[in-house]
Amino acid sequence: MRVAYFSPMPPERSGIADYSALLLPALGERLDVAVMRRGRKKAPRGTDVSLYHVGNNPDAHAWIVDALRRDPGVVVLHDFVLHHLVAGMTVGRRDGHGYLDAMEREYGVVGRLLAHGVLDKRIPPLWESRPADFPLASFVLEHATGLIVHSRTVSELARASGFTGPVWVVPHPAWPVHGITPARVSAGPVIGCFGVVNASKRIPQLLTATAKVRDAHPDVTLLLVGTTSPGFDLERRLQRLGLAEEGLVREGWTDEARLWSLMAGADIAVNLRHPTMGETSGSVIRALSLGKPLVVSDVGWFSELPDEVALKIPTGDDEVDVLSAALELLVTRADVREAMGAAGVELARREHDLGRVAELYAAALEESAGGAAVADAVLRDVSEAAAEVGISGDAAEARQIARRLAEVELGT
Amino acid sequence: MNVAVLRPQVPFARGGAEIFTDRLVDELRARGHDADLVSVPFKWYPGARVLTQAFLWRMLDLDEADGRRIDVVVATKFPSYLVRHSDKRVWLVHQFRQAYDLDGTELGQFGDSAEDRAIRRKVQALDRVALGEATRLFAISQNVAGRLESSTGLEAEVLPHPPQALDFHCEGYGDFVLSVNRLDRAKRIDLLLEAAALDTGLHVVIAGDGPDRERLEQIAHDRGLNGRARFAGRVSEEELADLYARCLAVYYAPLDEDYGMVPLEAFLSEKPVLTTTDAGGPLEVVTDGATGLVVSPDASELARAAGWLREHREDAASFGRAGHRVAVEITWDKAIGRLLA
Repeated sequence: MRVAYFSPMPPERSGIADYSALLLPALGERLDVAVMRRGRKKAPRGTDVSLYHVGNNPDAHAWIVDALRRDPGVVVLHDFVLHHLVAGMTVGRRDGHGYLDAMEREYGVVGRLLAHGVLDKRIPPLWESRPADFPLASFVLEHATGLIVHSRTVSELARASGFTGPVWVVPHPAWPVHGITPARVSAGPVIGCFGVVNASKRIPQLLTATAKVRDAHPDVTLLLVGTTSPGFDLERRLQRLGLAEEGLVREGWTDEARLWSLMAGADIAVNLRHPTMGETSGSVIRALSLGKPLVVSDVGWFSELPDEVALKIPTGDDEVDVLSAALELLVTRADVREAMGAAGVELARREHDLGRVAELYAAALEESAGGAAVADAVLRDVSEAAAEVGISGDAAEARQIARRLAEVELGT
Repeated sequence: MNVAVLRPQVPFARGGAEIFTDRLVDELRARGHDADLVSVPFKWYPGARVLTQAFLWRMLDLDEADGRRIDVVVATKFPSYLVRHSDKRVWLVHQFRQAYDLDGTELGQFGDSAEDRAIRRKVQALDRVALGEATRLFAISQNVAGRLESSTGLEAEVLPHPPQALDFHCEGYGDFVLSVNRLDRAKRIDLLLEAAALDTGLHVVIAGDGPDRERLEQIAHDRGLNGRARFAGRVSEEELADLYARCLAVYYAPLDEDYGMVPLEAFLSEKPVLTTTDAGGPLEVVTDGATGLVVSPDASELARAAGWLREHREDAASFGRAGHRVAVEITWDKAIGRLLA
């Protein structure tokens, strides 16, 4: 079966590009996959199904959504909140009307008025100030024949927004872990945080909590790895908390090999965020594979992680207190770290195994490509048999047949 | 207890599953249960017919029969477990293997078209739903349980059952190796014939019939086995017990078999079993050098193993007796006790 595969690919610096690089060889063992070059507008002739990877970054995904809107197919929804993408594809292309229309289609007149406010610069851009309140997912969902998502959270959000097509929950695949040399940045306990450094990753709360933990355990080091978002004043915060001189090791963007080494050298992996865009985290998957105990925010996909592998921090008023208590527990209890790490490795092996994930993808794509024809054939066979013995479509017996078909997923 | 044993029926075909389910009903009745067999014809082609035929089971109402409550249903193989019941126990003989491990092989059924691929996925979805509903889930062998776990994530308890009741006995260790099986390609009886072609001292008796018979007879003819390979066809129970009683050893090496009753029948006749490393279920009872010989699926290896048994009859007898001790541990009392617990 031939699949046209639309995704950002390395060397683009994108988590989804890394994801595709990991998935494609395993998927290629199961299906005939053609990767579309960036900018391609349509799948080649003979394609059975097109697969579109969609995230919130317009630079990486606008061309993919353009292709999707021309030729519907299965969408891998990496983020549910797509306001930034939609803004990039409308306002960013000087298409204010497109943005007004998108906002009105999903949020009615109020949405249009708000969009006017944004275009007239009377209110801050919604994609920066309130994206989670206005996800604009329908911009993509209305062209999707099926959805692949990484979490029940996003599946439920898609259903709540009115998507009625098939949804497949496919876990994020885990990278193979071998030949990694841990890079220790300190002799004492190392708390690692990997990814973009900004407020939504709860870096201010993490810095404060780390400073609190260091009051009692001055040998603790926070390792911050990743680029700092523009406008996020990391240096000032470090100065204020006394982390500028000691207790913190800072690395900006690193290549894949260095990232793995640093993560392997950490004792604890922290991955917080609020608000969530419904996304999963490649860093969390890496940490599970490496057997690192996790500290995550109790939101979205992160909430779905088993308690055995992650301590979950609520995002309320006591966030810093709970976070510092969690960090203190893991800093002081090697047995807890080991147990959580072992559970993480087992979870990565069981749920996130690359072969398993590729098989789930293949199942979703095969169901999508031929499922409607099969459902038609089954319903035709059953309804003809029913009609031949006088059971009409509106009879109680017909309703019972429909119920039974739905129970075993043979109905439409 | 009122128990309905569920069996899909392929008209005019009779094999291990039919023997097993008939016997299960008899054994349940012998223990005071009111048991009966519920059978629905099954046809798995063309196209989506496999799904609509499977769906027939979903429409059955087995809560009651003529006003009598059916306490338990015992489903056995695809698609009987699609049935709805508040106490649905599955004793899995096998899934629809064309949708799993046989896909893409010469024994597969689904092609590369989008519709065929989707039908295969629907069969898998049926399994996940219907087997997931079971109140207890058993498999006849570790091999079947392993396939189930890897394909659906569902875990089954391994619950082996005894073979058919024959007058099993041992009359010594004769000069022939016996094959008992349906004659189709997956049973790999040609491997035994090729071994006989390499070892002129090897005599074989092939009991059973099937679509591969003509090809196998041609192989025997082409290899000049002249009287050293006898095709006994379908034999009576008495004849089968007699063949078991007189043979040197029993050959049984299908490719990745679910379980296989033949090794247990051989053991009850105190005969060692010759099998191969890729035979699947038989390897759960045949231990190399203890209850038989396990060799790679290669005619020369097989010929060497058969020759060794011929030259070491005391060892052959010892393996057979060890096998007997394994087989007598698998009883209907134990199996039904766990099934209905």
